[in-house]
Amino acid sequence: MILQTALLIGLVIFSVLAIVLKDLLKSAISLAGASLLLGIIFFRMNAPYAGVFEISVVAGLITVLFILTIALTKSGDEVRESKLVNWVFPLVFVAFLVIDALVMKGLLGKVPALASGPEAGTFGEVLWRGRTLDLVGQIAVILAGVFAVLALFRKRDKHD
Amino acid sequence: MTNTWYLYVFFAAALVFAGLLGLLGKRNLIKLFIAIGVIGKGVSLLLLATGFAKANILTAQALVITYIVIEVSLVATALALIINIYRHTRSLDIRDLAKLKG
Amino acid sequence: MIILFVVLPLIVAGILPLVGKVSRRVLPDLLANATLLFLLVYAAVAGRALIAGGAVLQQSAWLGEAVNLRLALDGFSLLMLVAIALVGFAASLFSIDYMEHYGAKANYYALYLVMIAGMNGLVLATDLFSVYIFLEVAAVASYALVAFGLGHDELEAAFKYLMLSVAASAFIVAAIAVVFGMTGSLDFAAVAAALQELNAGPVLVVASAFFLMGFGLKAALVPFHAWLPDAHPSAPAPISAVLSGLLIKVSGVYAMTRIFLNVFGLTPALSTVLMWLGVISMVVAAFLALGQKDMKRMLAYSSISQVGYVVLGIGIGTPLGIAGGLFHLFNHALAKGLLFLTSGSVQQATGTRDLDEMGGLAKRMPVTAATNLIGALSIAGVPPLNGFWSKLLIIVALVQAGHPVFAVVAVLASVLTLWYYLLMQRKAFFGKLNEKWAAVKEAPFWMTAATVLLALLCLGIGILFSSTVTTWIQPAADVLADGIHAVTGSWGF
Repeated sequence: MILQTALLIGLVIFSVLAIVLKDLLKSAISLAGASLLLGIIFFRMNAPYAGVFEISVVAGLITVLFILTIALTKSGDEVRESKLVNWVFPLVFVAFLVIDALVMKGLLGKVPALASGPEAGTFGEVLWRGRTLDLVGQIAVILAGVFAVLALFRKRDKHD
Repeated sequence: MTNTWYLYVFFAAALVFAGLLGLLGKRNLIKLFIAIGVIGKGVSLLLLATGFAKANILTAQALVITYIVIEVSLVATALALIINIYRHTRSLDIRDLAKLKG
Repeated sequence: MIILFVVLPLIVAGILPLVGKVSRRVLPDLLANATLLFLLVYAAVAGRALIAGGAVLQQSAWLGEAVNLRLALDGFSLLMLVAIALVGFAASLFSIDYMEHYGAKANYYALYLVMIAGMNGLVLATDLFSVYIFLEVAAVASYALVAFGLGHDELEAAFKYLMLSVAASAFIVAAIAVVFGMTGSLDFAAVAAALQELNAGPVLVVASAFFLMGFGLKAALVPFHAWLPDAHPSAPAPISAVLSGLLIKVSGVYAMTRIFLNVFGLTPALSTVLMWLGVISMVVAAFLALGQKDMKRMLAYSSISQVGYVVLGIGIGTPLGIAGGLFHLFNHALAKGLLFLTSGSVQQATGTRDLDEMGGLAKRMPVTAATNLIGALSIAGVPPLNGFWSKLLIIVALVQAGHPVFAVVAVLASVLTLWYYLLMQRKAFFGKLNEKWAAVKEAPFWMTAATVLLALLCLGIGILFSSTVTTWIQPAADVLADGIHAVTGSWGF
C-alpha cells in the first residue's frame, strides 16, 4: 500500500509537471513518465491487461503522436503563458488537494454500495462475450479517427 | 466501498482537477492537449479503482481499454486539427484563435 | 436485425474509401444516400411492427456463441431512429450538390456514416458505458466534419468544440464510474433495480449533477452552450443541419432523458432542475438570437432556445409534458435541419451569411424562400405547422401541472422566436432585391429536393398531427412516463 501511494504521488507529480513545464518536449516525456507509473499502478491492482495497454498505447503511441506534432509545429515554445496563471493556479491546486482530502475523509464509508458477486470467466471472455458491443464501438471510433485524419490532411486542390 | 477506493478517488480527482486547471489557464495548444491527456489518466484511474474495489477488475479493465482506444482516436484528431491550425496561423497560441466570439 | 442500424453504416463507411478511388462522385453519392434511405424505410416501416408488442431486445449470437450484443428498440429509441434517418437522409441528399466544391466526397460520406452509426448505436444501447462509447464515436466524427472545409474559422470552431466536449466526457465517465461503484453493474435494468434497493441519496445527487453537466454541455443548455454558436455556423451546411437537428438531441437530450427517467427515476428535485435549465435556455438564447446578423449564428442560438423547450417539456414529468417535449424534439430536428439546409443554399448562391447584405432573394430563389418560410414558421410555432402543436402541448402540460408562470414565459419566448424569424425571412428573402444578387439562381436540384422533402414533412405532420402523435410520439412518451419500470420490467435480459 505504501508503494502504491508513492506511485500515485509520483503519477500526480509527473502529470502536473507535464502541464507546467515550459519546454514542450520535456512536457511530453513527463506525460509518458506519468503513463508509465499509471501502468505500474494498474499492474499492482491485478489489472495486467489495462497496465499493458496504458504503457504501450498511452506512454508509447500517444507520446509519439505528441512528439510528432511538436516537431511539425516548431515555433511552439514561443507561446508566452500568462504570468498570473503561473502563480495562481498552483495555489488553487494545493487548495483543491486539501479540500479533496477532507471530502474523501468525510465520505469514508458513506458511499452505499451493493455487495458484488464474483466475476465469471477470464478476461478474454469478459471482453469478447461480456462487452461485445464495446468492441463494435471501438471499431467505430477507430474508423472515425482514421477518416478524421485522412480528411484533415487531404490535399487541397481548390477550396473556396 | 473499501477504504482504499477513497484513496484512489482522491488521486483521480486531483488529476482531473489539474487537467481542468490546465485547460482553463494554458495558452499553448499542445499544452491544452497534454491537459486533456492528464484528465484521461484521472478518469481511467477512477474507473479501474472502482472495478478493483468491487472485485470486478476484469470488467473494469475492459472499460479502461476501450476508454484508451477512444482517447487515441481523440488525440489523433485533435493533433491533426492543431497541425492544420499551425499551418494557417503559424502560431500555437490560443489567443490567436479568437476570431469567433462564442 | 436491429444491429443493422449500427453495423450497416459502419460497413459502408469502411468500403467508401475504396469506392472513392474508383469513382470520385457518383458511387459515393449513391452508396451513402442508398444506405440512409434504407435505414429510413426500415425504421419507418418495419420499426412500428417490431415494437407493436413491447420493446424488442436483441441478443445476438456470433458464430454460434451467445455474445453480449444487446440492443433494445422501444418507442423512444424508434422515434430517435426515425428522426436520425430522416434528417440524415435529407442532409445527405443536400450534400450531393453542396459538398462538390469541398472535395474528398468519399471521405466526407465515410465520416458522415460513422457519425450516423454512432448516433444509432447510442439510442439502441442498453448499457451506460455503451452510451458513452457511441457518444464519442459520433463526437470524433463530428469534430472532423466541422473542420472539413479546413478554413481558419472552421478549424478554430472545431478545436474549441473538441476542448469543451472532452471536459463533458470526463464528467460523464466519472458519473458512470460512481454508478458502477454503487451498483456493481452498467446495464440499465440492473442499475435501475439496484438503485431502488440502495438508499443512495446524496451520492446519486452528485452522479446526477455530473451527468447533467456532461450531457447538458452536449445538448448546449445554458450555461453550457458557449461552443455551439461558433461550431454550428462554421461547419458545412449539411453538417450544421445534422449537428443542430440531431447530434445535440441524441448525445444530449436523449442520453440525459433515458438515464434520468428510465434508470434513475425522475424525482421532484430533478424535475425542477430540468425545468429551470429549460426555461433559462429558452429565454436567454432567444434574446441572444435577436441581435445576430449572421444567418447561421441566429439559427444556432435558436437551437439552444428550442432545446430549452424540449428539456422543459420533458422535465415536467407528466405524460402530456413528456409527449410535448418529444414531439418538439422531433419537429425541431426536421425544421432546424431544414433551416440550416436552406441557409446553405443561400450561402452557396450569394457567398455570404450576413443578413444585412441579403435582400429580396425570394425573387431569384422562390423555392428556397418558401421552404425557409415553412421551417421558420414551424419553429416559431405558427399553426397549422408541426411546431405549433408541439409547443401547444408543452404549454398546456405546464398549465395542467401547476406552472402557469412557466407557461406564460414559454408563450412569450415563442412570440420572441416568431419575431426574429420573421426578421430573418424579411431581411434575406423579402423586400427589394439587392442588385448584387440579380444573377443568382435557385439552388441545384438535390439541394432543393432535400429542403422540399423536409418542408413537406413539416407541413404534413402539422396537418396530420393527431395521427403522428398517436403513432410515433405516444409510444415514446409511454416508455418514459413508465419510468424505471420500462427498463426493469421488459428489459431484463
